[in-house]
Amino acid sequence: MVSAMTAPPAATAGDSTLIRESLERPEAFAGLFDRYAGVLYRYVSRRLGPEVAEDLVGETFLVAFDRRHRYDLSYDDARPWLFGIITRLVSRHRRTEAARYRALLRSPVDGGAECPADRVAAGVTAAAARPALARALAALPARDRDVLLLVAWGDLSYEEAARALSIPVGTVRSRLNRARRKVRTSLGDTNPLHEEA
Amino acid sequence: MDDLRMLRDLGRDLEHEPPPTLARQRSRLLAGRRRRPRRRAALVGLVAVLTAALLAAPVLLLRAERSSQEPLTERTQRPGTALNILIIGSDRRRGDPVGARADTIVLLHLPAGRKPVTAVSIPRDSAVRIGPCKPGAATRTDRIGAALAEGGPGCVRKAVETAAKVKIDHHAVVDFAGLKRMVDALGGVEITLPRAMADRQSGLSVPAGRQILDGDQALAYIRARREVGDGSDLDRIRRQQQFMKALARRAGERLSSPDWLAAFLRMAAGAVDSDLGFREMHALARSPGRAGLNDLVLATVPVAPDRTDPNRVVWHPARADRLFAPFRH
Repeated sequence: MVSAMTAPPAATAGDSTLIRESLERPEAFAGLFDRYAGVLYRYVSRRLGPEVAEDLVGETFLVAFDRRHRYDLSYDDARPWLFGIITRLVSRHRRTEAARYRALLRSPVDGGAECPADRVAAGVTAAAARPALARALAALPARDRDVLLLVAWGDLSYEEAARALSIPVGTVRSRLNRARRKVRTSLGDTNPLHEEA
Repeated sequence: MDDLRMLRDLGRDLEHEPPPTLARQRSRLLAGRRRRPRRRAALVGLVAVLTAALLAAPVLLLRAERSSQEPLTERTQRPGTALNILIIGSDRRRGDPVGARADTIVLLHLPAGRKPVTAVSIPRDSAVRIGPCKPGAATRTDRIGAALAEGGPGCVRKAVETAAKVKIDHHAVVDFAGLKRMVDALGGVEITLPRAMADRQSGLSVPAGRQILDGDQALAYIRARREVGDGSDLDRIRRQQQFMKALARRAGERLSSPDWLAAFLRMAAGAVDSDLGFREMHALARSPGRAGLNDLVLATVPVAPDRTDPNRVVWHPARADRLFAPFRH
């Protein structure tokens, strides 16, 4: 519905084209919203829950809009940029986030939607591991958690995560390794062979 | 077992689909204006004013039935004298005076006839001349909220006096602990909880529905983020407003009784860090010409953004001057 309004020029153009166009014609920026608002919403809803997610997505695009003239147009994919902005906004809600993970420790596993076959396939361990995962996530230092979740939940590559957080790729690797090690420890697996180079 | 895969599974479980209302955020973007900070500032101002209303309650709900046996200080004794009282809401935690910032600043004016009472909120980001508040410190322009940490209430008082060109007779500083004790002194406040509140950290547990909250519970209620409501800051401000209204209502009910008033004032004199002692408060409360909450006039100093610093606001000189004119007795 909304995307139809800007569809003709925006649908095929790359993100950087859209952003460049928005410098002259601010409405064009809405095309970026239509592309990524859903993705960002899903991501934040995982970390902070649906209550805060909507507002935070709106905030992200306002910040992005204000900074659009500083966007490096050589990057055609704006996702890392937007994920970087939203990560900083998420950090203001650290307590909400920790509380969300801790809540998983007490809530029973809701296996209602799953069919038994899935559960067998995934292994009973998946459900059993939830509290351990939640505990690990809640305990991670914020910057390690940011990297881990940008990769695991935001589907960013190492390079994209580095761009999002304005840190070197090597730092992304080391933070990710550290975070994963802690998650595995929490899961009760300390196999050093799982370490990534 | 692969930790990343398990993490992704967990993520999918936690995920929510974007609601249709997400389109509102798109309109917000197209409107191109960031209204939210301003709306929040207005709400914070309202909380300040309601705090002031609470503190003014003993004064507003004056009862002069009984004559006084206590010797009264000269200034508060005479009903024909107008008074200016500065109320500072501080975010200080108990026993930690360092780093306290003035969260809310309200200047109350009690005219000679004791009504109408005027309460003017002063935005804490107001750029004003501060100091010198410490030996060796220089006078400078800064946010008025910073004055409390630098030189205590006296420093804020001086800054307001200079900026508003008003003489302040008394001041009072309230913090969370003081608020808590006031709630207890009023016998609790009645709040309707949409759902049960449980805070593991403080061990609080209150069922849903209409409840009388004591000081500890009330404080948990107004400060909580995740235990009640949707966890947002706006939600918390909404709760604070609800609380203040409930508190003002309660004060109105309770303080019309002389016994409750005396008990409340005795407590307030201890809970509030003020140059106004029990006797002065009591004298004020019992001076003739009582007013009701309807005789309270609320206002905020008119401000504009400071062009040199986006974190500050500057007073509108002519309009601020007019606002404070009745304060100059």
